[in-house]
Amino acid sequence: MSRELDLLVIGAGVAGLTAAWQLSKSGQKTRVIAKGWGATHWHTGCVDVLGYYPLDSETPVASPREGLERLTADNPQHPYALAGIEQLEAVLTAFQELCAGAGYPLYGSLDKNWLLPTAVGALRPTCLAPETMIAGDTASKEPMLLVGFRRLPDFFANVVAENLTAQGIPATDLTLTPKPLEKERVMNSVLLARHFEKPEFRAEIAKEVRKHLGQARRVGFPAVLGHSPQQAMTVKQDLEKQIGCPVFEIPTAPPSVPGIRLHTIFMAAIRQAGGRVYDGQEALRADSEGSRITAVYTESAARERPHRAQNYLLATGGILGGGITTDHLGQTREVVFGLPLNAPDGRENWFKRRFLDAEGHPIYQSGVPVSNRFQPVNGGAEPIYENLFAAGGTLAHCEPIRERSLEGVALATGFKAAKVISEE
Amino acid sequence: MRKLDTEILVIGGGATGTGIIRDLAMRGFKAVLVEKRDFSHGTTGRYHGLLHSGGRYAVKDPQAAKECIEENIILRRIMPHCLEDTGGFFVTTPWDDPTFAPKFEAGCKAAGIPIEEISISQMLREEPLLNPNITRCFRVPDGSADSFMASEMNVKAAQQYGAVIKNYHEVTRLIREGDRVVGAVCHDLVNDEDVAIHADMVINASGAWAGQIAATIGLEIHVVPGKGTMVAINHRVINTVVNRCKMPDDGDIIVPIHTVAVIGTTDEKVADPEHFAIEPWEVQLMLDEGEKLIPGLKEMRMVRAWAGVRPLYQETVVADTRDITRAYTLLDHEKRDGVAGFISMIGGKWTTYRQMAEVVVNRVCDKLGTERECRTHLEPLPGAEEHGYHHLGARLAKVEKNAAFNDLICECELATRADIEWAINEAHAKTLDDIRRDVRLGMGPCQGGFCSYRAAAILHNIRRHPIEQTNVALRDFLQERWKGLLPILWGKQLRQERLDELIYLSIFNADHLPGEKASRLGPSMYEEKDELPLADHETSA
Repeated sequence: MSRELDLLVIGAGVAGLTAAWQLSKSGQKTRVIAKGWGATHWHTGCVDVLGYYPLDSETPVASPREGLERLTADNPQHPYALAGIEQLEAVLTAFQELCAGAGYPLYGSLDKNWLLPTAVGALRPTCLAPETMIAGDTASKEPMLLVGFRRLPDFFANVVAENLTAQGIPATDLTLTPKPLEKERVMNSVLLARHFEKPEFRAEIAKEVRKHLGQARRVGFPAVLGHSPQQAMTVKQDLEKQIGCPVFEIPTAPPSVPGIRLHTIFMAAIRQAGGRVYDGQEALRADSEGSRITAVYTESAARERPHRAQNYLLATGGILGGGITTDHLGQTREVVFGLPLNAPDGRENWFKRRFLDAEGHPIYQSGVPVSNRFQPVNGGAEPIYENLFAAGGTLAHCEPIRERSLEGVALATGFKAAKVISEE
Repeated sequence: MRKLDTEILVIGGGATGTGIIRDLAMRGFKAVLVEKRDFSHGTTGRYHGLLHSGGRYAVKDPQAAKECIEENIILRRIMPHCLEDTGGFFVTTPWDDPTFAPKFEAGCKAAGIPIEEISISQMLREEPLLNPNITRCFRVPDGSADSFMASEMNVKAAQQYGAVIKNYHEVTRLIREGDRVVGAVCHDLVNDEDVAIHADMVINASGAWAGQIAATIGLEIHVVPGKGTMVAINHRVINTVVNRCKMPDDGDIIVPIHTVAVIGTTDEKVADPEHFAIEPWEVQLMLDEGEKLIPGLKEMRMVRAWAGVRPLYQETVVADTRDITRAYTLLDHEKRDGVAGFISMIGGKWTTYRQMAEVVVNRVCDKLGTERECRTHLEPLPGAEEHGYHHLGARLAKVEKNAAFNDLICECELATRADIEWAINEAHAKTLDDIRRDVRLGMGPCQGGFCSYRAAAILHNIRRHPIEQTNVALRDFLQERWKGLLPILWGKQLRQERLDELIYLSIFNADHLPGEKASRLGPSMYEEKDELPLADHETSA
């Protein structure tokens, strides 16, 4: 640790990793500290930009670009409005290039959402999807065969098939019991992905699928076709060759294999650019002097360990990420810096009566209000610290799960914050 | 209208009704039980799960105390697999009147409740989280009970003796012919049709709903619904039932049951057994009182809150529901109202359900002029022989023994695919919530996050309903879980719920699956009025 850090990023979700990637690439000495990995490991491995707007709309957003125009006009404080659509477009392009360079291309554009099948058979709007998922596009009504595994309880192929059929996409199903899986004591999507990396396992699967292909012109699997980005492409192409038609993946509940692939790509890019990422480093608190943050402390064996940098980026996420906590007295708290939050007053205002309420529960919109430079601001809209920035799920004025904007908001704000910091 | 004939019709599938149907069937009566939802859906499934030693009533209600200890001993013999032998403490905290303890000790001895005072150091060895400022601790044979499983086993026993069981059959009215009740008209909620069940005698075991049933033929039964609110801690923080050694009061007990520990309860008179609210002060009171027994409890993760209504019977109107006797009442409507063929059993508590059933069926025998001996205290319930008491590690042991790790559908509660298939095929489960009551599906920390869609698929593959119906069943269950989370959502449990949203909304898009948003078998929310004033006051279907 010879030279002082230029940037300390707190949090290793998509927002934090995006900023670390951008700034380490531009030559800044960057360190990421994180308690654990972020939403990459939980979510779908796609890039959601805007899926439903207005939120209570029954039909998904067809063109994210048009949806975003309305959203940013209605809500000028939304992180997308603060970052600007051109920044979003720039980061999507940069991220597509990064993934393509890793041999794992993402397809799509701001002009059209994909509608891809989900692991229960709904149609999910998303902006960018990896090549491994594209053949599942439901704009095409080509019949599909869905393949599940008896030992993987996260993907019931017949439920997916029946729901898709009910929505006009003809689908059949097949549930396999390959011998190597029956021998395993425990099975989940990550472990199953390891099996798919073995050619002999794939050969057995392909043989069974071929037998049951029937009228199907494409074959869908749970998202377990190989663990690494490169493996996934190999597995997909090999299965397609053996089965004789396009193959696609459908994201499962966590752990998310395609999400982990994006994480792998981020980590390699950051490492290659000279940045460092440390997990198991929970940020506990910070020191400041006047208007500058001087250190962030993490827990270590004997004492708190200080991390000092020129600039700090808060990317710890919201309530889901753990960047914001709540208690039974109805208080909300930003955990590292104790920043002021936009949050509903009192627990009586936190929730709506329906779990699946289209507008979402007000408490989940709690977040750090920031300027258009992504600096946390006080009640008077003044930056609180001149060297502190915030990005991603920790931000106020958005509802990434209801909007289906999780990765889009994280990418755009992480990218824009990095840009502001690099211009400092 | 569909018609059915039987000798005896029992209304209500809680502890009382299922106990009665078993007793009737064992004594050779041809009997039918109807329950408007699932078994234990009402008060039986919404209490803290205490198997009373009788200690709670030792001072206030010696008759109830005596009944409790007698039945405690019997239930341990006939249904240990539905019980946990946790033992119980009565402790004097700095907030409790120290003069109560000697009265308590004397009361227990008078009622025949085995009692032993133990040292505070011994108490802390057994339960290290208890408040070290506790001054006295008495050990009594309290336990905890799985009231869901108990009802299920009573039903199963009754069926083995030929009884007919119909859940999701809601009585819309009794059928009266002159001065006689001759049956009831029910609405079958699953098939959405009416069924007329004719019987020589009708037994009203509908608990807090007894007044509503009687009112359909113009009889008045004054049942005071006494609401009790409970909060479950996400951990089994104690392994012994812990009671405050004082007169029964709000928040005076913590019961360890399965994977959680439950703080109970409040006691509030409510107007209607169906519509009542969990109010914020009640949750706060449970936390404040729980903190006195277990310092630091308020900072622990809470996993759920719920409320049930005690069926407390009184011929006259009273103000404070704690002063109503806990002992049960049998109403012979022929004597009371001049209406033959109709008996109501009201009041009591879970621990005395078997005795209440015995009393009812004795009366039935008298009425019908037949002499048949009760054997419910002698014969074990199905499954009792093999198991002994239930204990916390039993499920894990079973999963490990069968190497069923990968057939875990609900990882939190260790419910396997076979368990869920059993609930659907053998235990009358119609909805995911019914499966929950049978096998604890979705009752752990993630509150259904990882198991709801799996169980929905299993239900679908057995019942073969149209897929839209399965989608609604899934949404109903998610809403049912949400209902009990609302009063205690903060901290880590709130974070967990956000993960569940990520799964069902963002990854699955389950809110846009084909089908209705909610079904008539879905949960009814606690009353909006006086509840957590919620941001959106849309009515729940």
